[in-house]
Amino acid sequence: MASTMTPISPQEQEALKASIFQRLHPRIYLERFLSENIRPDGRDFDVWRDVFVNVGSITTADGSALVRLGNTTIVCGVKAEIAEPELDRALEGFLVPNLDLPAICSPKFKPGPPTEEAQVLSDRLNEVLLASGMLPLSSLCIHPGKAAWVLYVDATCINYDGNAFDATLIAMVAALKNTQLPKATFDQESGTTTCSRKTKMPLEITRTPVSMSFGIFDSTHILSDPTAFEEPLLDTTLSVVLDSDGQLISLSQLGLGSSGAQNSLQSCMTAAKKRRGELAQYI
Amino acid sequence: MTQVVFDRRRVNGPEESHIPSFDSKDDEIWSLGQPRNGRGQTDIRLLFLQPRLIDQANGSAYVETQRTKIACAVYGPRQSKNTAYNEKGRLNVEVKFAPFSCDRRKTPMRDAEDRSIGVAIYQALVSSLRLELIPKSSIDVFLTIIEADGLEGCIASGTIAASTALADAGIEMMGLVMSCAASIMGKEIWLDPNEEEARSSTGVLVLSCMPALGTITSVWQSGRMKTDEVLKCMDVCQEKCADIHSVVAQILLEKV
Repeated sequence: MASTMTPISPQEQEALKASIFQRLHPRIYLERFLSENIRPDGRDFDVWRDVFVNVGSITTADGSALVRLGNTTIVCGVKAEIAEPELDRALEGFLVPNLDLPAICSPKFKPGPPTEEAQVLSDRLNEVLLASGMLPLSSLCIHPGKAAWVLYVDATCINYDGNAFDATLIAMVAALKNTQLPKATFDQESGTTTCSRKTKMPLEITRTPVSMSFGIFDSTHILSDPTAFEEPLLDTTLSVVLDSDGQLISLSQLGLGSSGAQNSLQSCMTAAKKRRGELAQYI
Repeated sequence: MTQVVFDRRRVNGPEESHIPSFDSKDDEIWSLGQPRNGRGQTDIRLLFLQPRLIDQANGSAYVETQRTKIACAVYGPRQSKNTAYNEKGRLNVEVKFAPFSCDRRKTPMRDAEDRSIGVAIYQALVSSLRLELIPKSSIDVFLTIIEADGLEGCIASGTIAASTALADAGIEMMGLVMSCAASIMGKEIWLDPNEEEARSSTGVLVLSCMPALGTITSVWQSGRMKTDEVLKCMDVCQEKCADIHSVVAQILLEKV
């Protein structure tokens, strides 16, 4: 409040004008940037934001990761519990991924039950994690039909600046790679499972899925790693999920596929492959 | 045993799952009567505070005191919807535990613990703000507890984070609110107890005050304590709050 009372300099006035224009006419604002071949945050179309990964900082979780993708910040923690396997899948454990987009991370989210966006993202993350087979569910079995591990992979967004899907998938995979499970033994007579305090083992992770997302603006410009400002203006969003060998795990295109769609798909795939190589050092 | 409430809006696990039971006790557990682990009676845990962490918010802060990690964002003052006309502004405080923040997994449903911490932080902050200057508006303070180590520590650190975030948002206030917890351990007073210490103490007190004005904004005491012990605790806490205040004010000055 105090800041509005102090006189502002001409530069600040210009900046204020620009930000008012950005809020009132976001589309024209973005178009003007793109016609100059640059994006509002100063990136070229095909440039990704920096990634920062920190694992194991949360001691209450069995595995954890904090991931920053530009300003988007995701914290993910894995909690392991024990449950009885499903009757038709006696040899398998459970992997339960969920993403929460709470009101803290952006003014567009309200407190309360998960928003539609959070529900869709959680479901897609679940699909990718299961479809990739990155963690064979049979490796979570403690005793067939009696006991198996349940891994609750919960991610929370602290700062939302677009492309939460890519950031969350990195966080979830990094947290799972960081997870250590105690050695568990099932006692047939008492029907209980006991865990060892001393021996801990990492999970048997076989693949490392990483997602690369693109947005297509006005059917012409392919923007990699869209920000929160660009996201609502995009006609099409494309996500390519690749494993460490560059093999395709999942591909989704939401929205308009113009006649040039095949070309755009092709160029997104090529760009994703290149980016996957760069990300190998983080995950 | 945790009963998972079936919720179509989330990815659900099995109907029932329970936390693992171990063959031996954790050897690091400290027991009553031993001297304090790693710090003196009136030492508080190291405080790391960073304002302006969430760029979409009007003001924000991240606080870390050893294992306790809390992120806080302030949105507002903004138009308050669905409420009758009010001459004074409204302060909303919402606390959310991340599911992995405690020893036992927190189900996403809000429980009484979130609310009680929310109310405690609300009480600590509300008298420091000049809500009469912003009629019809509301200020939303959201806190996410990423890792918790003691309820009292969460209230104290949460209050400091929230007050810092409010200052970062440029909201007019009488003064910064600082907060500190104390616990009675036998005959001694231990400041800023962690979860284990709070569990084995007979009484706990959380004091929030505005050191710049020398006024107390809230006192929250639970458990058994003698009256002179309460007064003694309040004195030590107030002294500690003054120390924290100078550090926080310095951090804010550098940032703003």
